[in-house]
Amino acid sequence: MWDLFVSIFVNVLIWIYDVIGNNFGIAIILFTILIRIVTWPLNAQQMKGAAAMQELQNDKDWQAIQKKYAKDKEKLAQEQMRIYRERKISPFSSCLPTLIQFPIIIALYQSITRSLGSTPLDLLKLSRSIIFPFLNVSDLIPLNSKFLWMDLGHPESIAILGFAFPTLALIVAITTYIQSKLTMPASTNPNDQSAAMSKMMSIYMPLLLGYFALNFASGLSVYFITSNILGIVQYAMQGKANWRNLLPGGQKKVK
Amino acid sequence: MRRKVLFVTMILLAAALLSGCAGGPVRGATWPGLAADENAAYLADGPYVFAISLKDGKELWRYPAETDGDFVFYSTPVVTPDGLVIVGSAGKNHSLIALDPNDVSTSNNNVNSPGLAWTFNEARDQWVAPPLVVDDKLFAVNADGFLYVLDLQDGQSTKKAVKVAHIDGRLWAQPTTDGGRVFITSLDHSVIAVDIETYEVLWHEDIGGAVTGSAVLGPDGMLYVGSLASRLEKIDPASGRREPVLEAENWIWSTPSLDGDTLYFGDLNGRLYSFNTTAGRLNWAPVQPDGPITASPLLRDEYILVATESGSLFALDRGGKVLWSQEVGGKIYTTPVAAGDLILVAPLETEFYLAALDQNGRQIWTFTQGN
Repeated sequence: MWDLFVSIFVNVLIWIYDVIGNNFGIAIILFTILIRIVTWPLNAQQMKGAAAMQELQNDKDWQAIQKKYAKDKEKLAQEQMRIYRERKISPFSSCLPTLIQFPIIIALYQSITRSLGSTPLDLLKLSRSIIFPFLNVSDLIPLNSKFLWMDLGHPESIAILGFAFPTLALIVAITTYIQSKLTMPASTNPNDQSAAMSKMMSIYMPLLLGYFALNFASGLSVYFITSNILGIVQYAMQGKANWRNLLPGGQKKVK
Repeated sequence: MRRKVLFVTMILLAAALLSGCAGGPVRGATWPGLAADENAAYLADGPYVFAISLKDGKELWRYPAETDGDFVFYSTPVVTPDGLVIVGSAGKNHSLIALDPNDVSTSNNNVNSPGLAWTFNEARDQWVAPPLVVDDKLFAVNADGFLYVLDLQDGQSTKKAVKVAHIDGRLWAQPTTDGGRVFITSLDHSVIAVDIETYEVLWHEDIGGAVTGSAVLGPDGMLYVGSLASRLEKIDPASGRREPVLEAENWIWSTPSLDGDTLYFGDLNGRLYSFNTTAGRLNWAPVQPDGPITASPLLRDEYILVATESGSLFALDRGGKVLWSQEVGGKIYTTPVAAGDLILVAPLETEFYLAALDQNGRQIWTFTQGN
């Protein structure tokens, strides 16, 4: 099942690569846009869920309940579930798109290495991954792994004064940080778990994705950067980007 | 709190999964390289190159003595007339190294390890192809698309590297020679001839499909090469003019094995072909053992030995009749090697790294790291 999932990624990537004239970097960028379109309903759900959670956290009744049952966690949890039911809020809907990223990242990483066939076994696996009958993969092999200054099958770095400078890893970390900050909701409630979660993600996700970019094929970094930029543009176009979060003390100004 | 735990768990899981598939210095990232001389088998298998006694399957030495995350070995080791073992790394470290089995010392962790006769560090990509030894020179092709001509004694480049392939023209197969020219195959669909003295590219012929095996010089003086376009090509070594001579059912991965005027080779549909170069046709209809074939057939006096991805060995007579078969286990992609009376097989996805069989396919010993 998992292999079929990876194979679909491989086929779509190679098909785009073939159509656009053998540029694997552009293929990854277009593939990322495709992924964003496919996961659009989930993103919309996330934004809706986040907004609902935000509304709830600032709700006077909910704050009163939190105060009332501050020492009775069990009762508080029951009340919380009741309110979720009444207001039709799914607490996990705001997490789902983030969680769904992980299998996509893993499948994309595997599909990049498999498509580029950088070892004999990868190339052999590629021969078994072709499920689109119109793809003549033997004509296309080997895929051109060069994109700008990068070899998409290897981790990226630029030598500056004899030091290997991980440019892409930094860009990945910065764009991830910007995206998570922009989407972080403003909260006035100190007990707001959702805000605490968003804050935690805005710290850990840039570090984690930066680590991935540092150590894995740079094609994955191209995906991260494209996805982050698309996310930022998407939020900005919808007028939901919280630009003040990028400023030091921006959270406080919201209050 | 529960969501925090879920979040951190997902992050750790993703990190572990990605790390697991990153193809670091572990066994199984691809199939091992195998060679032998009269005393030892040499197995390039992930983080180590092992020398294994042919007598009992015990480890004689390994290189490096301790795991070095930058080394990954899977190109077939080459034993030179002077007894050096030359092997390249496909890891972050792109060294081609010459190991001296006559200079073995014991390290702090009680592991025998050979001395380094020399290292060559100028290649920019992984070493998949074994180098070709011609007199006192090494003709070594790298996945960076360059041919490096090295002095066999000290590993120094005798001439600046020669670019023989186009961009992404990864070179995975050992070059071959007719004495005056060196023939190189490339994943960029090419076969290239280089003058053995001047290192100038004489011709560069596109054969329409990536080539993972070496070219073979036939008894008729022509080159024969299989490709991932599923064709066997005949090429004039002087001009590079080519002529497709056989359509296979699927990719031809390995170097054909030449026996008199007959070429034996397999394809990924699991067909074994016997092509007569004199007549220009198949000797018999392709036979189908039990799985895809990436290894070159091993020629013995009594039979032709074919290894399959299904983990089996099939011994066939020259007429294509199966004499015996033996299930070794795992998946066999590496070409089996004959060493005296033994047949050495290095499967993937088995508990052991190497198995030695007798001439009838009976297992004599197996080798696993640490035994």
